Amino acid sequence: MSRARAEQQPAATGATLVVMVGLGIAFLLFMAFLNVVKSGNLLNESNLLYAALIFYAGAGALYLGFGVTGTESYVRFASLATWAGLAANTAAVAHRWYEAGHPPFASIYEMLLSFVWTLAVLTLVAEKKFGVRVIGTVTMPVAIVGVVLMQLLRTDVHPLVPALQSTWLHVHVTLAMLAYAACALSFALALMFLIQDKMRNESFLAFTSLFSMGVYLGILTRFENWGDLSVIAWNAQEKSEMFLQRGVRLLVIIPDLGWLMLLVLLVVSAPFVLYLAGRLRKDEALYTVANRAVFVSILMQVMALLVFLLRARGGQYPSLDAEGLYPTSLAASPFILSGLVGAIFASLLYLLLLWRRPDLERLLPSAEVLDRITYKTICIAFPLLTLMIAAGAYWANRTWGSYWSWDPKETWAAITWLVYAGYLHMRVTRGWRGRRAAYFAILGFVVVMFTFFGVTYLLPGLHAYA
Amino acid sequence: MAFKLHPHKPKKGADMAVDAIRFDRKIWQTLSSIKTGVVLLITVVVLSAAGTIVLQRPTTEADEMQRAYSPHVLRILDAVGLTDVFHAWWFVTLMLLVSASIIAASIERFPNAWRFYSRPYKYPDKNFRRALPTQKQLAIADEETGLVAAERALHSLGFKSERVVQSDHFSLFAERNRFSEMAVYIVHASLLLIFFGGIVDALWGWRGFVTLNKGQQSSQVELRDGKKKSLPFAVRCEGAGQENYSDGTPKKWWSQLVVVQNGQDSQRKQIVVNDPLVYRGVRFYQASYGPTGKLDKLLLTAKLSQGAGEKKDLSLGLDEIAPLDSDTTVQLAEFIPDYVVSDGRVYTRSNTIENPAARLLVTSRKGGKPINFWLPPIEGFAENAQSPYQFEAVDLKQGYFTGLEVSHEPGQWMVWAGVILMGIGLTFVFYLAHTRLWAVPVREANGKLVLWVGGTANRNRDAFEERFSELSKKIELELQSLRAAPAHDRVASLA
Repeated sequence: MSRARAEQQPAATGATLVVMVGLGIAFLLFMAFLNVVKSGNLLNESNLLYAALIFYAGAGALYLGFGVTGTESYVRFASLATWAGLAANTAAVAHRWYEAGHPPFASIYEMLLSFVWTLAVLTLVAEKKFGVRVIGTVTMPVAIVGVVLMQLLRTDVHPLVPALQSTWLHVHVTLAMLAYAACALSFALALMFLIQDKMRNESFLAFTSLFSMGVYLGILTRFENWGDLSVIAWNAQEKSEMFLQRGVRLLVIIPDLGWLMLLVLLVVSAPFVLYLAGRLRKDEALYTVANRAVFVSILMQVMALLVFLLRARGGQYPSLDAEGLYPTSLAASPFILSGLVGAIFASLLYLLLLWRRPDLERLLPSAEVLDRITYKTICIAFPLLTLMIAAGAYWANRTWGSYWSWDPKETWAAITWLVYAGYLHMRVTRGWRGRRAAYFAILGFVVVMFTFFGVTYLLPGLHAYA
Repeated sequence: MAFKLHPHKPKKGADMAVDAIRFDRKIWQTLSSIKTGVVLLITVVVLSAAGTIVLQRPTTEADEMQRAYSPHVLRILDAVGLTDVFHAWWFVTLMLLVSASIIAASIERFPNAWRFYSRPYKYPDKNFRRALPTQKQLAIADEETGLVAAERALHSLGFKSERVVQSDHFSLFAERNRFSEMAVYIVHASLLLIFFGGIVDALWGWRGFVTLNKGQQSSQVELRDGKKKSLPFAVRCEGAGQENYSDGTPKKWWSQLVVVQNGQDSQRKQIVVNDPLVYRGVRFYQASYGPTGKLDKLLLTAKLSQGAGEKKDLSLGLDEIAPLDSDTTVQLAEFIPDYVVSDGRVYTRSNTIENPAARLLVTSRKGGKPINFWLPPIEGFAENAQSPYQFEAVDLKQGYFTGLEVSHEPGQWMVWAGVILMGIGLTFVFYLAHTRLWAVPVREANGKLVLWVGGTANRNRDAFEERFSELSKKIELELQSLRAAPAHDRVASLA
């Protein structure tokens, strides 16, 4: 009898989660509906986005539940929630398009709107077409972060500045979105390949730790005054960044945040250092210590995020470049925020891998299949990248008078193209398969992320729009 | 992992190789090897990444460079060319080396590929049949039945099969997208075309700037490096303007341009951002627009000093004369955008219209010297009280200039051709696989007659496997129906 009960238990908890998520969605929608009825404006964009957020959050919870327990029914409901979220998201995109009179690519807000939409579509495609069902565990949280970020950003419809009034812009940006989404997919698939290829947990540990180190190093480029962190000042009325002069942003310094970030950098690099020591000394025991260090690093990262949220959410801070105190807001630092959240998320994924590896291996397609799909995805991404660069060059030729001006974004797009060209050459002429190809695919996506975020955040250039 | 040199080439005997390899041959091999290509590409990646991190000279102002780097560091960066990476001699050399490497690698590999392309392998021999991974053997009654079944199955899958005559029997060969084997050379050629266009532009192209006021005409272009260039024609601006959205942000800048050649208007176009004027390979782009600080028109009212009279509206440009009555005229003699009085003179502080003043010259035919009427009445200069008319300023209209980016890129057509060619090449490379299928009737060692069916595809092998199993199923079905049907529609067996 007791054995039968033990076997029933997973099914019971499975239903519990579905019911809980369903009730949660229903409750939130009902509350939102009451609010909307009061204001009398049902189908506006923020309501649609809110609905999308609720559904995506539900889907994310269910996908995560699936990732952890492997309960089949979760995926079915998660897909349903994703479909519902996608419907709301599509309506929001359509509404935006109709209101603005141009496809939603003109501001960071509109780009995020389209990005989240693409992500949801790709999730469903990967799930239905390729049978990669855990993908939602990764993509849905990203979509949620995207929708939350959107709430912080300026949402009113900007008229397009003259340089952006071109059909080629839409072609260029659509292609970029598709290409980058395909690259992201190939990255996720390459990671799954590495799991199926029996790569050791310690290697994933090193990757995770390196990623977090990269994030904190990036944040620390804003390290000022031996212990402060500078962020962009934010004008709350205008919902826009403040400028010192044309093209030069006004930075304010938040005292002591720099020290904290430095400290967290040290903590997140601890697992990597321990891993290296373990490798050099061939001491497996150090890996166990490294895994414990991941827990500590997650706690520290959450703390860093909380402190950042508290300090950068509002308040008046001095600036190094101008007299007086200036306000800032979370919306002024979307990259830092997404970096912090992303690093925590990566560490949590590592924990998921550490605890649930056998389940994951059972759920994922075989290594051979993943290897092939990764290659196919890049075969789609590469021509898209090529066309994206060509469309961008044509547009630049009509606007700036030159098809190629070695602007950082252009140069990095070319570097991305070269990296993927390298991948294809190695695969076709050298027969690179398996792990080396997967590393290459991961490298490609790192370069893509740098082109997308790093160049905007760290390097100056003409692509000031996005 | 080290790269192997030419693994696909037949290995020569070690003793022979040492003798045979001459120095130039060695250079050629190094240049054409994929290892060199990869090393070159990595170098390009690293150097161009450096070019995005170090501030670059033409786009960054000189004083900003000095603010960003210490003089010592800046001197070193300038000396090695890191402040203008993409135009440094070593970067151009590197790009030439990359081109040379692509050319060499293509030449090295092309003959093999061409042989493969021009002389398709139509009859698989015994060894090939044994080694081919995708194959199937189907029992057949006689050769002709097998071939007809295979032909029908191939036909239903959209292949056109061809009968290959051997000494004592026929076999079948069918293929699709053979051109895909050549596509990679198209991609390489297109890349070279793009590079070549870029080099042509770097050598013979130029970029510059022209600023025109309304009505002004110019054939002088100020180039990026500060030099002047004379065009064989002139361009005149007949008007320029800005349109705003309701919230005040700019919506559109436009300039009405006319190209003047040999004193005649030969082309006219209203250009806007994103839509340039092109004349003889020289392109004019709308780049900037703004006030010149100069006066276009001053709007005034005039009224007789004594007695009642109607107010009269006047609109004056600089130096323009307008009649007030039969005896008196007024001229706009001077316009000062930002006036200040010192040392008994009127100066302007700047060229922006901040604190404007105007001097009107009122002349009467009845004699007497002309009277200086100042707006506003600057003490010590204004003779406003003596004037028969009193003037009031109503409005002033500023002059606007339009800034035109001018460029000449003779190589860009090669670049666009390269881009299109690359699109075609990539389509063939990625989406059209060269598929080959063979069917050969074979008598096995035990005397049984079988139809050997085999095939390969150069890409997307898993999709091909599916198609192949579909094909073999179809052949079996055809064989069954042929077995069931009487032999009346069969051609007599050749055996």
